[in-house]
Amino acid sequence: MQKYWTIFSLSWQNEFTYRINFILWRVRNILGFLMVYFLWSGIFLTQTQIFGYSQNQILTYIFIALLVRAMVMSAPSADNIGSEIGSGDLSNYLLKPVGYLKFWFTRDLSSKLLNLSFVVLELTVLYLIFKPDIQPPNILSFLAFLISAILATITYFFLSTTARFIAFWAPEDTWGLAFILFVLIESLGGGLFPLDILPDTFYTILQFTPFPYLLYFPIAIFAGKVQSFQILPVLLQSFVWVIGIYLLNIILWKKGLRTYTSAGR
Amino acid sequence: MKEFRVWLKLTTNTFQQVLTNKFLMGLFLIAKLLRISLFLLFLHFLFQGTDNLAGYSKDQIIFFYLSFNLVDSLSQTIFREVYRFRELILSGRLDFVLIKPINPLIRTLLGGSDLMDLFILGLILSTTIWYGLKTDPTFLNWLLYLVLILNSLLIAASFHIFVLGMGIISTTVDHMIMVYRDLVSLGRIPVDLYIQPIRAILTFVIPLGVMMTFPAKVLMGLLSPEYILISILLSLTLFYLSLRFWGYSLKHYQSAGG
Repeated sequence: MQKYWTIFSLSWQNEFTYRINFILWRVRNILGFLMVYFLWSGIFLTQTQIFGYSQNQILTYIFIALLVRAMVMSAPSADNIGSEIGSGDLSNYLLKPVGYLKFWFTRDLSSKLLNLSFVVLELTVLYLIFKPDIQPPNILSFLAFLISAILATITYFFLSTTARFIAFWAPEDTWGLAFILFVLIESLGGGLFPLDILPDTFYTILQFTPFPYLLYFPIAIFAGKVQSFQILPVLLQSFVWVIGIYLLNIILWKKGLRTYTSAGR
Repeated sequence: MKEFRVWLKLTTNTFQQVLTNKFLMGLFLIAKLLRISLFLLFLHFLFQGTDNLAGYSKDQIIFFYLSFNLVDSLSQTIFREVYRFRELILSGRLDFVLIKPINPLIRTLLGGSDLMDLFILGLILSTTIWYGLKTDPTFLNWLLYLVLILNSLLIAASFHIFVLGMGIISTTVDHMIMVYRDLVSLGRIPVDLYIQPIRAILTFVIPLGVMMTFPAKVLMGLLSPEYILISILLSLTLFYLSLRFWGYSLKHYQSAGG
């Protein structure tokens, strides 16, 4: 455990080494928020409700989305695993007494904690500018939100690393599949809009994919859009996705290691 | 002419390199098409709950988005080499570019255009024309649209030159091109949707409105001649400033890693 704590600490310090990079990364998140915010504001210029959402509910939704994105999707592992497998650098890790996936998960946690602390500051500033009437959730919803966000974080880690494992078989394709995955999460995860505005059939089909469990459900639980009796089934479905993707991840990792030839080393 | 021959050679090489990995190319094309299609689908669903967005109809908003994609894809195709620039700086290999008898700006800005995007450009172009025709434009509107699209590419070139210059001055920055991409993505919707003073900043300070919104507006006949003139003057000024900045940054090149 001590070694992972050291990795966490070093990773934390590493983030501060490239301060301008970090600030620019935060700027990127704010820009994304502004686009979504003003897109929705344009709609509410001429009407007070759309798909059952008031302007304030939508604003609350995109505020929470900024928080959940920082928690779920900030992950240095996603940028590195593919290239390390493709270039043969993975061998350096295999020789060390650390679990490769545990190493990257620890680094991800460090990055997430740092991002979360900054996102709280950004949210405070944005809150003072836009003054949304955010209704705090009750204790039950808040707990469910936390569990849902943690499950989403784990799902995202295994999903994104699994996509990178393609590099075991195609070392030059380190992020082709991950790019598709990123586009799907961006569009169908619920970061841009609440997924329940979609037609029923489309919304139902989406629930059979992992995407809504990454952003939409944690945000919807916080915003009170998921009824109390629906919370448990949603959390169970999230848990099933964690297990399913974890198993897929482990199977592909083991198969990949058998194929791995450390080419380039 | 010499520069053109070098560009052609580098672009041919890049294209051949891309073609050696058809699987990866396929994945990229799928991802890019998915991104555009899913946003279009979102706009489609959005207009089932409203009949206009800040006064614009569904077809107009889609046309704004397609025009954005046209400019964005064209600039990604032409200026793809900028995405590989950081590696050139970190490894010190920019030294080899500087000592060659070719303008280093042309080499780093235009060298190795990515023709992979050409496949989807055809699709974007035809859909843009299809939606453009729905707004009943005259021949003059189309002509002005073309002029402002070229104007947008000049602005995109200026932004990319600024990114190159920043890359030379600060070797620690690797998110700069991605910040540009996120900034540009604010233009997926017309800048009219942003409140003041953000709208003014996005139109005249960071001329994103001129780059992404104005071409579509001119086709719809919603842009006055004064604004067309201002747009062209603005892009020429920005281009001039970017060239000055490039010259300034080269004087500060330290060949780190070389």
